[in-house]
Amino acid sequence: MPKLVGQNYVPVDHVAKVTGRARYAEDYRVDGMLFTKLLLSPMPHARVRSIDTTAAMAMPGVRAILTADDLPDLEGAERGLTNEPMYAGEPILAVAATDELTAAEAIERIVVDLEPLPFVTDPLEALRPDGPSARLNGNAWGAPPPGGPGGPAAPAPLETIKWTAEDFGDEESGRLPMGKALEEWAFGDLDAGFASAAIVLDETFVAQSSGHHPMETRSAMAYWQNGKLFIHASTQSVAQTRGNIARWVGIPPEDVILISEYTGGGFGSKGGGAVSTSIPCLLSKKANAPVMMRITREEESYIGRARTNMTGRAKVGFTKEGRITALDLFIVQDTGAYGPLGDHRSAGLAASLIYQPAAMRWRAVNVLTNTPPRSQQRSPGPMQANGIMEPVITKAARQLGIDQLEIRRLNSPEGKALFGPVLPTGQRNHVTSAFVKEALDRGAERFGWDERKTRTGKRQGSKVRGIGVTVGPHGAGSIGWDSIMTIRPDGKLYVQSGVGNLGTHSVLDLARVAAEVLDMPWEKVEVVWGNTGNHLPWTCLSVGSQTTHGMTRANHAGAMDAVRKLKELAARDLGGAPDDYEVGGERVFRRGNPGRGMSFAQAGRRAIELGGRFDGHDLPEDINPMTKASATALAGLGLMGVAKDTYPRDGITYGFVIGFAEVEVDVETGGVTLIDFVAVGDVGTVVNPRSLVAQIKGGACLGIAHALFQKSVVDPRYGVSLSDRFHYSKPLSILDIPASMHAEAVGLADPETPVGAKGVGEPPVGAGYGAVMNAISDAVGEDVFRRAPVTSDIVLMSLENGRRMHAPLQAHV
Amino acid sequence: MDFLTWGRNPWDQAILTHVSWDLFWASLFAGVVFLIAHASYMVLSAHRKRHASETDAMEAARPDLPERIVRHSMVARMFHWVMAVAMFVLLVTAFFPIVGIKFAWVTWHWAAGLVLSASILFHIIHASFWLNFWSIWVGPSDIPELKAEVMREFGHEVPGPRPGKYPLGNRLYHLAIVLAGLSVVATGLFMMVRVRTPFFTRNPYLFSDGAWGLTYVLHGMAGVSLVGLVIAHVYFALRPEKWWITKSMILGWITRRQYLEHHDPERWEISRPR
Amino acid sequence: MAVIRDPMPAFELFQPTSVADAQALLDRYGAGAWVLAGGLDSFDWLKDRIKRPAALVDLGGVAELKGIRERDGGLEIGAMTTLTEVVHHPIVRERYSILLEAAESAASPQIRNQGTIGGNVSQDTRCWYYRAGWPCYRAGGNICYADTPESINREHAILQADRCVAVSPSDTAPALIALDAQMVIRTSDGDERVVPAQDYFVGPAIDITRMTVLQPGDLLTTIRIPATWAGARFYFEKVRDRQVWDFALVSVASAMVVKGEDNGAIIERIRLVVNGVAARPLRLEAVEALVQGRPRNESTAVIASNRAIEGAQPLRFNAYKLPLMKNLVKRAIRGVEGGTWTS
Repeated sequence: MPKLVGQNYVPVDHVAKVTGRARYAEDYRVDGMLFTKLLLSPMPHARVRSIDTTAAMAMPGVRAILTADDLPDLEGAERGLTNEPMYAGEPILAVAATDELTAAEAIERIVVDLEPLPFVTDPLEALRPDGPSARLNGNAWGAPPPGGPGGPAAPAPLETIKWTAEDFGDEESGRLPMGKALEEWAFGDLDAGFASAAIVLDETFVAQSSGHHPMETRSAMAYWQNGKLFIHASTQSVAQTRGNIARWVGIPPEDVILISEYTGGGFGSKGGGAVSTSIPCLLSKKANAPVMMRITREEESYIGRARTNMTGRAKVGFTKEGRITALDLFIVQDTGAYGPLGDHRSAGLAASLIYQPAAMRWRAVNVLTNTPPRSQQRSPGPMQANGIMEPVITKAARQLGIDQLEIRRLNSPEGKALFGPVLPTGQRNHVTSAFVKEALDRGAERFGWDERKTRTGKRQGSKVRGIGVTVGPHGAGSIGWDSIMTIRPDGKLYVQSGVGNLGTHSVLDLARVAAEVLDMPWEKVEVVWGNTGNHLPWTCLSVGSQTTHGMTRANHAGAMDAVRKLKELAARDLGGAPDDYEVGGERVFRRGNPGRGMSFAQAGRRAIELGGRFDGHDLPEDINPMTKASATALAGLGLMGVAKDTYPRDGITYGFVIGFAEVEVDVETGGVTLIDFVAVGDVGTVVNPRSLVAQIKGGACLGIAHALFQKSVVDPRYGVSLSDRFHYSKPLSILDIPASMHAEAVGLADPETPVGAKGVGEPPVGAGYGAVMNAISDAVGEDVFRRAPVTSDIVLMSLENGRRMHAPLQAHV
Repeated sequence: MDFLTWGRNPWDQAILTHVSWDLFWASLFAGVVFLIAHASYMVLSAHRKRHASETDAMEAARPDLPERIVRHSMVARMFHWVMAVAMFVLLVTAFFPIVGIKFAWVTWHWAAGLVLSASILFHIIHASFWLNFWSIWVGPSDIPELKAEVMREFGHEVPGPRPGKYPLGNRLYHLAIVLAGLSVVATGLFMMVRVRTPFFTRNPYLFSDGAWGLTYVLHGMAGVSLVGLVIAHVYFALRPEKWWITKSMILGWITRRQYLEHHDPERWEISRPR
Repeated sequence: MAVIRDPMPAFELFQPTSVADAQALLDRYGAGAWVLAGGLDSFDWLKDRIKRPAALVDLGGVAELKGIRERDGGLEIGAMTTLTEVVHHPIVRERYSILLEAAESAASPQIRNQGTIGGNVSQDTRCWYYRAGWPCYRAGGNICYADTPESINREHAILQADRCVAVSPSDTAPALIALDAQMVIRTSDGDERVVPAQDYFVGPAIDITRMTVLQPGDLLTTIRIPATWAGARFYFEKVRDRQVWDFALVSVASAMVVKGEDNGAIIERIRLVVNGVAARPLRLEAVEALVQGRPRNESTAVIASNRAIEGAQPLRFNAYKLPLMKNLVKRAIRGVEGGTWTS
């Protein structure tokens, strides 16, 4: 039986990608296609009084202008265009013309009369007693009301919250002021925890925002044919984006055909597509011609989403052995102009999980600012939690004289570790599995922690070395998704994949599971992806590191369904009971008598003859309507495996990656050089080793960049983004990481999923972020910085002055 | 020609940035045209002074007057010349770079501006308490003098008042300088907040874009006006028939004869020496 | 009236093959002409639709502006020679390694393949307020958005600021000044003007809208590097956030001739230049004079570094440039303190 899970393979699209033949949304051309350019708000908050398009419409080549008035109302949620821009750079209107130059010149002839409105770019300013609010009717998102059983939670209410001048009393000390929180949970006895602690630390940390900046901007091209919308767009999640586009455009999902075969990265910014996609769709309808919208890098820096920045204050009690007795965590989250994002909640849960405090309280305010909109960015929340928590742990270990690795190991989760608040059931949630201690031990050995430890903190010339370790956590899997696959008369297995092709290979990996269950050689597997017109099953969003877990389960279920049907079909034709048959070598055959059976090709043909549930004419009841529609369209093509994942799961799936970093700090320049990085994942069974290593390294690199320089900057006076260019936001470059980084996984299967696989995309981010910052602290002192990125100016000024000199609380610096 | 220069702020709102520097050329041109016109006119002019005989008679009647009559005290002269130097520095540092002669002008400019401001402040105090404050001002009571002087300008021998201490033209000029000077100094002092000086924390956001626009325009307007005014002033100072006044600004005194010839002793009384 | 930043507006493109033709075009279009070298600065301006020339004069086809030749025992580098060519030239490597280091520290390999040395020294500042098209002094307005109580100005100037606090972004400039390079300019009337590299750059006090002495119609044709400092003891360092595609926070370049060995070495002559601290690269002549004749050691380095930052005025977010500049000056004189890790 060919083992596919855990083996490397060359994805079928690799050659197309590296040769440039792969077609991204921007690469499509259609006859009569127009181009659109956007008019962006220059103000961070304003109201459109009037728009004069006369001169623009009079220009030859200008075909149509789309404004917010042409867009369906989304009940207050963000739309592609707006009449009340909430951030500088928000699109107000779009011009369709025969070419981009004409469209741009038309935009320059449009007069938009804007009334400036109060704005705020720093979340703390929004909370001041007389501070401005980001919106006319509120400045923060409250706690979302509890969802009904099984149903989605209602949206969070918009509230106005101002703290008192006394609340801001702590500001002078550089600590986060803590006024009234809008969200809160707790477990255990916090007071007792602090009372029993040997030391109690209280530290504030500013975790930065940063633009996602995928290489492919959110360009899109749309046209209408026979009442159906054809849209070429860039998304992380093909199946799930169709419905979103339908909603943004105001048509039924069946009328949307979404084509997204390749996605040039998303990092969470294209989770369910991009709301701006509605612009070419509706403009195409208005202009009665196909419309291409190419998004520039500058536009991407505004509409392309960014990470939530968080200012967190953690008061932590430790026993003298280093065990955390109590954790009181307060987070002010900047959720940008829209949202609400829930990163602050994820951060609280992550902190409770990886540091396993005996008692904990989590409080938060989710503040709106007039800055570019946020979305989940690879490890949204847990990465920030690592940033807020790690300096406290590091400082405690120093004060208590405990090894940095040891204190993290001591507090790390194990097995079905508990996390989060006490639920209405009276219980706390627990994870499906945690092999963090195993991963820590493996990593420590591989990294050579004990040897490297001996040389840290010692100066060689102007250079000092330091090492750091961090456990990066993240949710790593969802359940309950569907799969569709067919074994056709050509003898091949066709697996329908609704996953986006965003570079992680999970779009194909899921089929490896199906093929393995069916013992199908990989060469005979066709994965159908990237076009909702090709009939895709109900698929998870490719966000939150859930795809590998969620879709391997679904495809395992689908493949098992196919196996079951093959056996039934064989028993029916060849006698005996289905259980007398087994599957292997592209055949279904009688156990112990391989000659008695039929090939998959024959089975596929036979299934069509028999019809009913064999070829998809009869479908299970529990599958999603989208799956049902797709399966119905595919019915009659062969033997169909179609199923919803109903495998049990005890616990919530979390993945962990442990990052180990060694840095060299030049005390004369403040410069930090990453010398070595080792990462070990507790991410379940490895499905695709090469891709897994790439994911761990790539994710760690995002965290490393956030530790060292990646950021977003806003001018407070005008509320305008200054880091609106790629190089200003400083993503990592190849020379900023060591020539070789090592990544591996402990490879211990998660017991709560049939394949044993968990997600891996996000846990390494916090691991990289925390490990590098811890290593800097190890080299030059644990009080040198309390914000990220830790750039040379911060290090140098602290070392020169013997104390922290950086702005303690200001955001977007 | 545009009189104002506009820009667009980061919010794409129109903001005033400066007066148009074309106005500098206009003011310079106006000054020079006036100078030529006036000089040509003077060649043909028949301005009536007192007849020598009349002056002789007056001189004989007033033997009590000292030979030298103090017109400008030492303090007043010092003020004038300090201000003059400051003004020249200001104009040179303001306009040379605009016309293409590049040098580091900013510090010189605001330093000279401070000197000018201080000297103006001093002058206001000094004139208010130690000088005949009203002798330099123009008012309705000057209409007879204006009439008479205009008639004399056309060669008529008319009765009516002659100038007091300051001829009317002098006083009108002073008024113009006061308006331009105070505008330029008041705006200039605020504008120092826009650049780096040892005195304030630099804060270009002290006022709104609109208020700054007006400040810059006013400063520019006053500045370019001063170009024309200074040209006129220097021109008169150098004219032969006004040389006695210029000399008095250097030496401080005029002769008894000059006093009687040009002034109305009724309106500028010289007390007898004790 | 609305602002839009892309695509590039239309212009006439000229690709002359001689300097004379190029200058004829510059003359014909006057203020409407734009000189294009490697395009790495120009295309930013053009794609942002901030600069809107009527005619683009692309020097890429002017062969006489390219290449590196030996001349009078030194080198003559055509202004249109790419940074990659500079980096790979054997004589640069052998005798003027400081220029190699400086050129190699610029941007990324792709940019060095396209960017020219003439463009590298003549490029505009990267102040993000100015580059955003805000109407600041440098753009002809009357305000500096980077020096206000609220500005984010970590990258800006600590020295010789005059209204504008932008800094020179050039990596090769300090090395060229250290080597006493001469910039050969063809003026608009066809004359040749030779300007020492240190005088090629202009601060805002003198001309707030220009970075160099080049006037409209002028072309930088060649950069001459004399034999004076060939094979001297060089030091170049560029401190930046990222090791690829980033401008200097502060950089330092020095050329030094010492007499004697190791600890007894006396600084016979030296040229010392810093960049990233002012609108033009600063040659520290006072420091040079101070250390000449002194032993090349820590105490000389300390004296020099204290003198180097005299008069520096930090902004809200760039006070770190004072110790950074001090430390880089120290290193330029005494070298990086020894000591290497065993692994």
